[in-house]
Amino acid sequence: MIHSSHSHVVELCFPSAFGCEKIVLDAIATFAYRCGFNDEQIANLKTALGEACVNAIEHGNQCCDQLQVQVQCMYDEQSLSIDVRDYGLKKYQASGPPASIEHKLHGHAALRGMGLSIIGQLVDEAGFIDSLERGNRFRFTLYRRSSQAATEKIRNTYNT
Amino acid sequence: MTTTNEHIEQSERVIELRLPSRLGYEKVAIDTAASLARRMGFADERIDALRTAVGEAVTNAIEHGNDKDSATKVNVILMFRPDELVVSVADQGRKYLKKDATVTAPCIQEALQKEDKGGWGIWLIRSLMDEVEFSTAPSGGNQIRMVIHLEP
Repeated sequence: MIHSSHSHVVELCFPSAFGCEKIVLDAIATFAYRCGFNDEQIANLKTALGEACVNAIEHGNQCCDQLQVQVQCMYDEQSLSIDVRDYGLKKYQASGPPASIEHKLHGHAALRGMGLSIIGQLVDEAGFIDSLERGNRFRFTLYRRSSQAATEKIRNTYNT
Repeated sequence: MTTTNEHIEQSERVIELRLPSRLGYEKVAIDTAASLARRMGFADERIDALRTAVGEAVTNAIEHGNDKDSATKVNVILMFRPDELVVSVADQGRKYLKKDATVTAPCIQEALQKEDKGGWGIWLIRSLMDEVEFSTAPSGGNQIRMVIHLEP
């Protein structure tokens, strides 16, 4: 296991081509496992990271495979934070709350566009960071505690 | 010439990984390389060989090249083409690798007599990979470049 006396940082860069993000998911899953996160937390982390990377490829870098997506993973014993950065060819614009699944299923809203909402359900903190940098910088954090709280959060959201 | 470059750009991709110089992190590099190799279609046996070679190279970079200085980084570059995977591992050169250490094969009889059973890493890498080169990294440290070909 990776023990932390001070923060540990792993960085990855990959081209904006679909499929490359899967390699990054495996790399970060190994890192998270070695930091002591459990299987459920790692599964949540992989889904969240996959969504964030696909957003960076598709929106931030407009699928231009000459542009890289940068992933920085920081562990400090309390938490694991991941920053996903792109070149901001399309800047994130905050809009209202996403349409509900019911709305989408009834054809009142586009079927896509649930990525940020899913990420929000799976991790403890998530959001775009305002900065002077040109690109988008999305950060999400998972705290090192029982995954019970995350499960409760999902249950409460969907009343299951 | 332009056509060739375009072909390379389209068919060659690079994933870069930067790790702290701490033992344990080599496993992140091993799993990253294995994940890529599996998706490229390498056979399990070749992936196992790659895992061993990458583990040895990154461990050498952490232990020797960066002298276990946790403030330093190990840079792993995975360059993949349709027919091969090139893995480069670079350290920051706290210690420089002696040239003869990159070519000498250890003697198993001598190793059995010695208390320190180390020193097999480079020999293992040479045995497992299709091409191996040692050079100076752009950052000034030691660099090893390993190539594994994807058989049709």
